[in-house]
Amino acid sequence: MSNSQESPARSSRRTFLAKSAAAASGLAAMAAALAPLRDLDDFTNVEEFLRKHYKELTPDELAQRLKIIEQKVKERHDVEAEVKALAPMDGVEFVYCLNLTRCIGCRKCVHACVKENNQSRSPEVQYITVLKMPQGTFDLEKGDTEYQPAAVPEDGSFYMPVQCHQCRNAPCVQVCPVEATWQEPDGITVVDYDWCIGCRYCVAACPYFARRFNWKQPSIPKEEINPDMSYLGNRPRPVGVVEKCHFCIQRTRTGRYPACMEVCPTGSRKFGNILDPESEVSHILREKRVFVLKEEAGTQPRFYYYFDI
Amino acid sequence: MSAHLRDFSRFLWRSCRLATEGDWRYYAWIGLLFLATVLGVNAYAKQFAQGLATSGMNDHVAWGVYIANFTFMVGVADAAVMLVIPVYLYKREELQDFVIFGILLAVVAILMSLAFVMVDLGRPDRFWHMIPGIGKFNFPASLLSWDVIVLNGYLAMNIYICGYLLYRRYRGQPPVGWHYIPWIFLSIFWAVAIHTVTAFLYVGLVGRPFWNNSIVGPRFIASAFVSGPAIVILAMQMVRRVTASGSATERQIPNREAHLADHSSRPATLEDFKALAKFLPELAHVPNETLSKCLPGSAVVEANEGEVLLWQGDTDREAFFILDGRVVVKREENQRERVIRNVGPGEICGEISALTGTARTATAVAESPVKVIRMTATALRRLLQHPKMNQVVRTRMTERLMITDKALLTLRSIVQVSIVVNVFLLMNELFKEFYTDDLHAASAHYLYFGLDGKTALVPWIWTAVFCNLGAMALLMLPVSRSLKVLDLACVLAIVGVWIEKGMGLVVPGQIPSPLGEIVEYTPSFDESLICIGIWAFGLLCYTVALRVAIPILQGRFSAKNGDTKPIPTAG
Repeated sequence: MSNSQESPARSSRRTFLAKSAAAASGLAAMAAALAPLRDLDDFTNVEEFLRKHYKELTPDELAQRLKIIEQKVKERHDVEAEVKALAPMDGVEFVYCLNLTRCIGCRKCVHACVKENNQSRSPEVQYITVLKMPQGTFDLEKGDTEYQPAAVPEDGSFYMPVQCHQCRNAPCVQVCPVEATWQEPDGITVVDYDWCIGCRYCVAACPYFARRFNWKQPSIPKEEINPDMSYLGNRPRPVGVVEKCHFCIQRTRTGRYPACMEVCPTGSRKFGNILDPESEVSHILREKRVFVLKEEAGTQPRFYYYFDI
Repeated sequence: MSAHLRDFSRFLWRSCRLATEGDWRYYAWIGLLFLATVLGVNAYAKQFAQGLATSGMNDHVAWGVYIANFTFMVGVADAAVMLVIPVYLYKREELQDFVIFGILLAVVAILMSLAFVMVDLGRPDRFWHMIPGIGKFNFPASLLSWDVIVLNGYLAMNIYICGYLLYRRYRGQPPVGWHYIPWIFLSIFWAVAIHTVTAFLYVGLVGRPFWNNSIVGPRFIASAFVSGPAIVILAMQMVRRVTASGSATERQIPNREAHLADHSSRPATLEDFKALAKFLPELAHVPNETLSKCLPGSAVVEANEGEVLLWQGDTDREAFFILDGRVVVKREENQRERVIRNVGPGEICGEISALTGTARTATAVAESPVKVIRMTATALRRLLQHPKMNQVVRTRMTERLMITDKALLTLRSIVQVSIVVNVFLLMNELFKEFYTDDLHAASAHYLYFGLDGKTALVPWIWTAVFCNLGAMALLMLPVSRSLKVLDLACVLAIVGVWIEKGMGLVVPGQIPSPLGEIVEYTPSFDESLICIGIWAFGLLCYTVALRVAIPILQGRFSAKNGDTKPIPTAG
């Protein structure tokens, strides 16, 4: 209005120029703001974007996927890996039993697990948390997860390792919005790392703090890579997805014990098939004083604690 | 059909054009919001490239401010029903003007909640896994899949409702009831659903005792009905500031017989303009030569109380400057008439048709015996060649969207009731936590008093308690009938609810962890920037939406009316 002396054409040209300049600088600012995307080392390509859910892969597609993963491991880590997709065995349901009388809290299981399952070393992802509990209570808040004594065990304490309880009624499976995690017929709850959207609802849902998220691109030194890999287990994970203990699926589905059990120096850890009445775990569940953590949560774990005496 | 499409795309195009027009305050505000959005985009680009490690979250506190803000925004979206229910269920007509603003707010709030979810995803590139039918949708087991359905459904129906109402208004056609009323009623139920489902995201987690609490759902609804209407009150005050003024009472429009055909009139003289200048100081700056050029088209008219100066819908082109008495301007819409302006000496009515050539947008009736200067369009244009007069008349043209005090006070009573219910439910929760003081009360202990010397949330929650109680006290006192005090109460209530949902619910629910560890959480700088960016983006969307919606509601921006030059600042 104040420039009503100007001709309308001139003023509208001026407005147009001003708006174009504003739009151009806006676009430039936006482009500059996107600059950090140049650091993206692993951009999702079309093949990755269109990847199918594990359960929907045909055998051919699965074989092809395994090849691609092997190639990728070769590129990234310079390691010849063998990636398998092992099927669950018929008539098998795995359970775990942990002897609280014997556990000395040495955390050998924690580190064996990290090594076996190709967890990120920096930052280090651990599936097993060991609680040092003062004797006389099961109040988890009284437990200490960061104990660092010169030697274990310490007097007046007992130790309670916690990992995925492979619940029969699993809150994590229930809450996943995209079925990226599910229970296999042998009782193992697995994650499809190529399907997980990273919403972390399962992390919030788990009553046992068993799930871990890859906040960063995982990093593992080449010489520490375990080349014996499985699709639903210990193959290297991408950034931004959730992972968890899978009872060393790459070992247990070929008849071997989980790494945490094999390394345990006190024999506190027992693993086996609950459907086999002759198995060690069946014997423990029949004969020992057994309890599960947070029974009131109704999760029905396949992970049992027991006492010798 | 194709003609419809063409009209509609023209509408969209003109809306975009309109959104880029405004005065310097509008540009400054838009520029500021855009800048904040760009900073947020920059922080998100970092997060996208490096992973969520750029946030302050960790395996123990895996949900932070993104999810907290998501939850809060769902509550704001939910509260649109608090405007819709009174209008459509209880026929509280003073809120009619607000419905569109409330629904637009709901749309923006849902967009913001979806943005908060997207930035929280570790793999945003896989968002399509959540799309029903395309991805793999864990329905009905996962409450998050319910949320995908209810939030997107709510978004779609609200975009449709406000788009339909605004577009009809733009085309000058009254809305067809069955085209939108069923959706309005559906959206009322749906609004409750979006917030209940969002509450159930938390309530359904057995491993988190602080969340696994049946009072969370009712508290979500109660607090949403505090924060939502409070935001609308503040937004409406802003709109009122930049567009309209005055309050009005509803009255009957007189019969058409009482036209002013037989009024006594005489040609105007310079003396009449001098008399007008007493009430309109800007007129004194206009030189006599200019005034003399206006005289041929000007006449002084006297009318009695109840006589009509101009009729809505007519196509005559005169404008009226009031010399004496008062004139009430009423607009009829959907068989309902509403006073949109009440003008007295020194003010003008009828200038829109005179200047734009459109049909009369309202009816002007003498409220008392009046004396006016009637000017033809040509005479008025001559007068407006003087920049001062141009400015004052153009500014007044925008002053016609009614947001009445009565409507704001109706919203106040909604906030009043809701805040009492919210505080009552909070007391219930606190009683249960602290009286039994079982192991499950650990989160509440941590939140209110700290645990093991860790006290990060204590200042937050006591700020929220102070804000909520302060807002409640103000709202209960008659003093908050004053709009300034009401604004303060609203700000306190919004801050209180925002903290309650974020630092007071989402974060402490995860502390201590399920294994009893106390790991604290503080949002990182980038994380905060992303939140600010989404807020700025939301405000930007709302501002632009209002920039287009207000002229439509005022009748200044319509299919027939190309002139959108008089520019209010929205936001």
